[in-house]
Amino acid sequence: MASMGDTRPALRFVSPTASRELALIAAIIIVSVIFASASPYFLTVNNLVQTMRAGLELAIISAGMTLVIIMGAIDVSVGGILAVSAIVIGKAYQAGLPVYIVTPAGLMVGTALGAFNGFITAKLKVPPIISTLGSMYIFSAIMFLVIGGAWISGLPGTLSPLINGWVGFVPAAALVIGAVYLLAWVVLRKLSFGSHIYAIGCDEHSARLVGINVDRTKIMTYALLGFLTGLAALLYVARLRNVEINIGTTIALEAIAATILGGTNIRGGVGSLLGTLLGVAFIRIMQNGLVLMGVSSLWETVIIGSLLIVVLTGDALRNRNNARAI
Amino acid sequence: MVFRMSGIVKRFGGLVALDDVNFEVSKGEVMALVGDNGAGKSTLIKTMSGAHAPDGGTIEMEGRLVQFRSPQEAWASGIATIYQELALAGKMTVVDNIFLGREIKKPVLGIPFLDRQAMRKRTAELLDQLDVHVPSVDSWVESMSGGQRQGIAIARALNMDARLIIMDEPTAALAVAEVRKVLEFIKRLRSEEKSVVLISHNIQDVFEVSDRISVMRHGRCIAVRETAKTTPQEIIGLITGAHEVRAAAS
Repeated sequence: MASMGDTRPALRFVSPTASRELALIAAIIIVSVIFASASPYFLTVNNLVQTMRAGLELAIISAGMTLVIIMGAIDVSVGGILAVSAIVIGKAYQAGLPVYIVTPAGLMVGTALGAFNGFITAKLKVPPIISTLGSMYIFSAIMFLVIGGAWISGLPGTLSPLINGWVGFVPAAALVIGAVYLLAWVVLRKLSFGSHIYAIGCDEHSARLVGINVDRTKIMTYALLGFLTGLAALLYVARLRNVEINIGTTIALEAIAATILGGTNIRGGVGSLLGTLLGVAFIRIMQNGLVLMGVSSLWETVIIGSLLIVVLTGDALRNRNNARAI
Repeated sequence: MVFRMSGIVKRFGGLVALDDVNFEVSKGEVMALVGDNGAGKSTLIKTMSGAHAPDGGTIEMEGRLVQFRSPQEAWASGIATIYQELALAGKMTVVDNIFLGREIKKPVLGIPFLDRQAMRKRTAELLDQLDVHVPSVDSWVESMSGGQRQGIAIARALNMDARLIIMDEPTAALAVAEVRKVLEFIKRLRSEEKSVVLISHNIQDVFEVSDRISVMRHGRCIAVRETAKTTPQEIIGLITGAHEVRAAAS
């Protein structure tokens, strides 16, 4: 035992989820070796950069999802937020509005829908999986009412340099992902807001007792996820230049899967942004590699689903064996 | 008097849980609160800590009349309650737990970044003051023993500027060495001029650390004794009602 004068930080570089992060890195290396030996195209710069660009929206949304899940909550409606934001962005472009109006508008729509989720979860005391399932239905209905089953197409790619561009030897998409994760990390680890997110995830009752404004923290965290989803919608429109009717149908489950695979505890209180980013990379590399090998992409979902079950079972067993877990 | 409750009444439907209870604690005093199960101890401390609003009577803290609508309001006026379940976040560090809700911040370009170095330093001081030993202020509270957690919960109360600290069965379910440690914490609090309300079933612990003992029976505070001038036999007699039997017989 150290004496009490000891104020050195204890091994800060070893995060509580380090073993999961290392396991994911190992898994990514293993599947990459398999894919590289099966397809000469896999390990080309072009393919890897394309894979990263295809993972841009998932990576951004998963960063926000990590914060929400650490808080002990969940949001299954991000696909709906993505769709409604993309439609507003598409309609605004069609109305001839310039990009410097459309961009803040898209971000504001996402933020507002996220805040709505936070509000109904916090104030109406509805379990988050139920409240966000409800809003998912509402957001989907809005989408169908507005676009009525047709695509919005022929949109401008004004923001596409953020996805396809290069800054020197660095793809712009990597810089966007880096900026989003840096922002999320600062919020989570360097501000009191992040401490409150962890505290609510650990024990909401004691968080209230020490005077944390739990409701406001919940609304702001959901709003931050909404903001990031709005950003993802802007990049979606810039990448595809249209809004498809099936936008966002799988992204909520993928973001939750990436977060849980990355070591964030589904019961809250523990989590890592680095793990989530590795989880996103793993999911997108699996999809890309299986396509290159000519395997049906259905197998990718089977593999991700099986891994999720293994991970969640492992977490449940560990919690059962830890008598001291509060 | 730091804290005084006068004529407190609390009813649950037809049941009178607290019947005209008077209770007071002086500055730097350890006041033990004893009584059998169902005597009203829990209801009384819930009324002190803001969890229950009384149906009658007044509460004074440091000479001012107070009414608590929530535990947060009680904390804000300097009354900290440390429950058996402790309300610590297990998967957060000692530092983060102690400063939860009142973090020290250092603005950089107007952004209020956490000042972890300052919080670590203050945590070390608080733990030193109480003589709490932990492996590191950056380890998870979940990995700590029951005694260490009690120490951390008390340190947090001190950091929140608590002047009256209510401890509900702090030594229950602790190993012997840990019990000694917690009793030491209570003595330290007294030497820091803090007031303590100690709820305990263990008469031995009560006699070791308390200055006075309040005895509750059937929802009333039936006796207050100075610890130095009473005996465990008398207190047990008061708790069980043996004195009533004797009075009736004579």
